[in-house]
Amino acid sequence: MERRMTNGTTPPDHDGYIAAMPSRSFLLVTGLLRDVGELTAFAGRFFRQAVHARFEWREFMRQCFINGTLTLPLVGITAFIMGLVLTVQSRPTVERFGATSMLPAMVAISVVREIAPVITAIIGAGKIGSSMGAELGSMKVTEQIDAMEVSGTNPFRYLVVTRVWSTTLMIPVLVVLSDAIAIWATWIGVNIKDDVSWDLFYRQVFESLEFSDFLPAFIKCYFFGFAIGIVGCYRGYTTEKGTEGVGQAAHSAVVTGSLLIFIMDLVAVQVTDLLGLN
Amino acid sequence: MEARSPALDGPVVQVRGLRKAFGSNLVLNGFDLDLRRGENLMVLGKSGSGKSVLIKCIVRLLQPDAGSIAVLGQDVLALDQEALDRLRVRIGFLFQSSALYDSMTVQENLEFPLRRHWIARDPKEKETLVEEVLSAVGLPQTRKLYPSELSGGMKRRIGLARTLILKPEIVLYDEPTTGLDPVTGKEIVELILKLQTAYNTSSIIISHDLNVAKLAANRIIVLHEGRNHVEGGYDDLRASTDPVVRSFFIFM
Repeated sequence: MERRMTNGTTPPDHDGYIAAMPSRSFLLVTGLLRDVGELTAFAGRFFRQAVHARFEWREFMRQCFINGTLTLPLVGITAFIMGLVLTVQSRPTVERFGATSMLPAMVAISVVREIAPVITAIIGAGKIGSSMGAELGSMKVTEQIDAMEVSGTNPFRYLVVTRVWSTTLMIPVLVVLSDAIAIWATWIGVNIKDDVSWDLFYRQVFESLEFSDFLPAFIKCYFFGFAIGIVGCYRGYTTEKGTEGVGQAAHSAVVTGSLLIFIMDLVAVQVTDLLGLN
Repeated sequence: MEARSPALDGPVVQVRGLRKAFGSNLVLNGFDLDLRRGENLMVLGKSGSGKSVLIKCIVRLLQPDAGSIAVLGQDVLALDQEALDRLRVRIGFLFQSSALYDSMTVQENLEFPLRRHWIARDPKEKETLVEEVLSAVGLPQTRKLYPSELSGGMKRRIGLARTLILKPEIVLYDEPTTGLDPVTGKEIVELILKLQTAYNTSSIIISHDLNVAKLAANRIIVLHEGRNHVEGGYDDLRASTDPVVRSFFIFM
């Protein structure tokens, strides 16, 4: 019998919603698993075609310029602000312990090990991943990828392989530059209240920084770069449903790319811990 | 304008029993087609009748569920990727949306297929080919423009130029006049006929535009419910009493 509220309206069907939850959850899980499977197959296709005699060098160089050089200003500004803010905000805490001389080393280690790689990769996922998703998505829905294929060009090799290689190689370069800019900003941050020469600051930073701080962080950047490229291309290359699909491709390239970066970071910290590098 | 008479020869495209379904939607259900050398064959059908699917199957952009496709004597469905790419160079495809690469200028669009196939390695030779096709489509002044700066008719012409730069033997036209005003549409059809003579191509034109049928087609196949419904010249169809054929002439 239909339930009625005192004002005569039908109450919201909470029971029906709750009853449907298992099937909704099932669809969500199967959708997620399908996505993971398809992305893995797409990555497998990349590895099969990644090295080929007819490598598209010109397009690869163009992508390196777009994803590296043109992303540097954004990454640079963010790194500068990050280094400065981190220094200014950490000062009161280290002051409490009378350890202000530790400030440069502390901030530098945080920047090199974690903050610069992750922030740069997240910016990459936002700027590069979304633009790849949107560009390839719009090429897909306007039949440009089909046009490439019928002209006898392998669109996967031309569009996907070059883009994924470029992000894999450019993100680590951007992270190294980001490290340098953030450390320079730390020196400025330290000098807001103290008077520390660059030579002294440099010595304080590099006496505490070890190769084992830098190497694992640098290696994980290649994985971050690969994740940004492969997710952006996958979302764009498999776009459907016209212009709406292009928007979805750009959006999901950012969301999936960022999520993958955090998951990879989590795995990386466990691996470095197991290897005794932490 | 009179449609050109075909030079009768063996079929350059032969399709037999083509079937293609998307889920439960059966789009092509045993379609047959023969394109003779030098002929303009038109496939007439309503929107959504499977015309685009047909020509996408011919160049294997789509994989049919059943049937056979032979192009220039080669079994398209049995070719490996490299052989298919070599065959595709001999088949031009004009997309409905023109499908110009919008991050490239007109010149780069035209040079793109040349660079890929190592045709015209010498820059001067490349330049000559670009100039030749741009003059052929009547747009020699557009080489530095981007597709977004072109009108719909100009895009269609540049699309045609990009198709012809590889000197294909067969050209597949996907709705060449859709979205254009009647005057520009007529100009495109006239251009197609002029270029067909100049480049000696055989064509499959898919459209629902009867003006294209009247001006360009040597032979017309009506595609209905995934099969060959009727076949004949424009005048045969015009005189037909078949209700499906009559429905195309409703505004004529």
